[in-house]
Amino acid sequence: MADKQYAIVLDTKKCLNCKACTVACKFENFVPVGDDTYRIWVTEMPLQGKFPRLHQEYQPSQCQHCENAPCEKVCPTKATFRTREGVVLVDYKKCILCKACMAACPYDARFVSDLHEAVEKCTFCMHRVSEGREPACVETCPTKVRVFGDMNDPASDAARLLSSRQHYQLKPEKNTRPRLFYLA
Amino acid sequence: MIGNKMTRRKFLGISAASAAGVAFAPALTRVVRASEKTNDYSILPKGKREFIASNCDMCVNKCGIICEVVEGKLHKINPNPKNIKSRGMLCAKGNAGAALPYSPDRLKTPLLRTGKRGEGKWKEISWDEAFKLVAKNLADLKEKYQNRSCVAFASTEGFQEEFYYYLVNSFGSMNTVRHTTLCLSSNIQGWSSVFGVFPDADLQHAEYVIMLGSDRAQALITPDSVDFQRFKPKGQKLIVLDPRFTETAAKADRWYPVKPRTDQAFVLALINVIISENLYDHAFVETYTYGFEELKNLVVEYTPEWAQAKCEIPADEIRQIAREFAYHAPRSVIYPGRRSAFYPNEVYIRQTFAILAAICGCWDTIGAVVPKSSVKLNMHNVIFPFFMLSQPRVDKQAVGLVKDVVPDSVACPMVGTGLPVDSCAFLSEKDGSWGSFREAVLQDNPYPVRGFFCFKQNPVQSVPNVQKTLTMFEKMEFICVIEQQMSDTAWYADLVLPHSTYLESWDPVHNLGGIEPIVEFRQPVIKPLFDTKTMFEIAGGIIHEMVKIPSLWDDIEPADFEAFKKDILEGVLDKPIVEYIQHQVLEYPGAFEELLKEGFYTPDGGKARYGSTRNPDFRFKTKTGKIELFNERYKEFGLFPLPKYCEPSALPGPDQYRFLVGRTAWNTHTSTQNNPYLWEIQKENTIWINTAEAKKLGISQGDEVRVKSKVSEQTIKAYVTEKIRPDCVFYVNGWGRQSPWMSQIYKRGASESEILEDVLDTISGSMCMHETFVTITKI
Repeated sequence: MADKQYAIVLDTKKCLNCKACTVACKFENFVPVGDDTYRIWVTEMPLQGKFPRLHQEYQPSQCQHCENAPCEKVCPTKATFRTREGVVLVDYKKCILCKACMAACPYDARFVSDLHEAVEKCTFCMHRVSEGREPACVETCPTKVRVFGDMNDPASDAARLLSSRQHYQLKPEKNTRPRLFYLA
Repeated sequence: MIGNKMTRRKFLGISAASAAGVAFAPALTRVVRASEKTNDYSILPKGKREFIASNCDMCVNKCGIICEVVEGKLHKINPNPKNIKSRGMLCAKGNAGAALPYSPDRLKTPLLRTGKRGEGKWKEISWDEAFKLVAKNLADLKEKYQNRSCVAFASTEGFQEEFYYYLVNSFGSMNTVRHTTLCLSSNIQGWSSVFGVFPDADLQHAEYVIMLGSDRAQALITPDSVDFQRFKPKGQKLIVLDPRFTETAAKADRWYPVKPRTDQAFVLALINVIISENLYDHAFVETYTYGFEELKNLVVEYTPEWAQAKCEIPADEIRQIAREFAYHAPRSVIYPGRRSAFYPNEVYIRQTFAILAAICGCWDTIGAVVPKSSVKLNMHNVIFPFFMLSQPRVDKQAVGLVKDVVPDSVACPMVGTGLPVDSCAFLSEKDGSWGSFREAVLQDNPYPVRGFFCFKQNPVQSVPNVQKTLTMFEKMEFICVIEQQMSDTAWYADLVLPHSTYLESWDPVHNLGGIEPIVEFRQPVIKPLFDTKTMFEIAGGIIHEMVKIPSLWDDIEPADFEAFKKDILEGVLDKPIVEYIQHQVLEYPGAFEELLKEGFYTPDGGKARYGSTRNPDFRFKTKTGKIELFNERYKEFGLFPLPKYCEPSALPGPDQYRFLVGRTAWNTHTSTQNNPYLWEIQKENTIWINTAEAKKLGISQGDEVRVKSKVSEQTIKAYVTEKIRPDCVFYVNGWGRQSPWMSQIYKRGASESEILEDVLDTISGSMCMHETFVTITKI
């Protein structure tokens, strides 16, 4: 049987910019309070237009769990690795805090963790997923912007969205092949 | 990694909030340092792990929560996916609740003031001493003024509030004052004038929605904030009117930066088009409503062209919206929303909304506005003594006082505004009116009020014109505040009693109202961390001391005193609160167990209830028993029976801006800003100024500006943006704090209650928070 291939599909048009996801992530993953310590965040995209013809979108973002992950390539100790399910993780034991991955990441998704004494970032809440629970950000969202699932399972909500809706990835020019898909 | 810092800051899009000058040390209790490097990604401490269902108390919504507790310590609050009201969501505040019990700023023991009021000198005392002290002060005040209503009791909604009322009713004061007149009392009054009740909107089935002045994407209300994006039917259209481009406006199919206070003109024109083009629901109007002909005559003059001149929305677009609204009826919603404390004629504005719904038959059916349903609970039928020495409410009696707080234009040429100037027309006995209550107390009219109790409310930050509140405090001989942290109101108290958090206590069962009926309760998810108590325990403690003082019971019959002790103390407060809760759901077998397991209970699976009033014989709670387009009671009271348009207030002067109020999704009024996980989202407030206006004033992004109103001035940083009308400015409530014990946010940003003038809507007694005009100058 093929391995599960995890992904998150986002319908950002539903995002309220309420920040529920970022706070849920901090508690779930023991991420300390601080402006430099976010595994996930919500960007207010630039306001378009002039008063009174305005348009604005809000874009949640995070580690994109790239299939072609620059962070993995530059890591001198192989601390950053991809699991069989396509989840990019950091082996904290191997991390020597050289920060090459932080520089290489096109999404600015990594930071130094005092807790782990290593570089850390989103893990897709694999400790929750292994218990059959959704990632904290997915679960807490009022409008369920994020859908987490197995791309290899055509019956999963994530796979169904990907096969039925137009979508895009962030910074395609970097050829990173992210596992986060944004619905158009 | 400075570079990294800068990019991340940009990423977060928090340009509106400036960086704090000091680095924040994470709350100690949250740090779980791995003893050695590990790859256990959850790094949960090992030990007993539980998932306990309860309900949130970070705002009014009471969303279902599942608390993950490890070895007795709360790790994470998760949403309860089964809860039919919160629909499986938990917002930033709800998540941040997990830090609340462990906050270093919590009140941990009763505190007695030793220095001057507001000086911050306190002595820790025991609960025994505190209870004795409260009882003695109540007895002294009663003896001195020979009137139990000389002590006022302020509170806001919450599951423990009923026990505060056990205290109020055991003492016998009539002067209670709640949050409602700072929030939605005019909304309730306006909708009820038509339908007899204040309904909800069925947003998950509506095809067409008009939201006026409601920011459901940020001012979160469940289930509406979920439904309007997650569950909206395909093709649903959303029309938003708001002077600000809010997150809700960003979701709208059409957004109109309506000229403030003219929403009514827009809705009157919709009614005009719908009637003149014969688009209304004839059968519904015929069967259920009263006064259609009078309404028809009233709106003849309110053409779209007339409205365009008022509200600045093009007439042809008003026509189009009217036709679309009627086309989609009854699955069309004119959204009742929540807070309506904006303008002096707000009741008429809301009455107009309700009338639009009524003539299109958008009532009590799928996709319309629908009356709230509830679950019948087994009440504790306690009867409190009738005290001879209880005088009626001050704000009910003090005829003439409201003149001090109505806008000049109403007070002077009052003819034609439809607003009373002598006293408020409809005051709730329990809610009172903050504006006229405070005025009456300040003037000792009709009698002195010299004691003040406050539970869960923070009038120093929430009631406009804070100087008046502080002057009112100066009149008080005893101030007692029951709080979790040292709020700005607690800071001025004589005695502060620490209340337990919602995560440490049992709370009784309550209906939440809604289209889908549901009851909730709370159970402790962790053991109390400090020497705090719940209102249930505090009421019991104080009343036990009160019964020891004979003078407190000399104006009732001795038999009533014995019955009181038996019913109130032995019957309720001396028993475990769990028995109280079990009694409430006695009629539903298995309900208590269901509450323990799920945190909520619904007798029939929580199915939506439609149509209970759609029966020609149904009697609505109006004078005629019909849906009143023409209000007979208003006519009796000398008010407008029909929502005639008038502009009962002045306009900003040439250099002035209208000050607007609003919310963010990550703070509740003034109660959550000190939570570190919310503080990191916004570290102070900033004032929204339109780009073109800022340019005129020479103000750039982040500049410090002085905001000056008739009553005060504040200093705040500018947020220059296209997202607001040029004639308005806005900053959010909850900042500019006076209490140094709010360590994270003390003196950050500007206070809303300082800058706002106190202007009164004299029909509902509500404050009018969009009636303050300010000047802005660069510092």
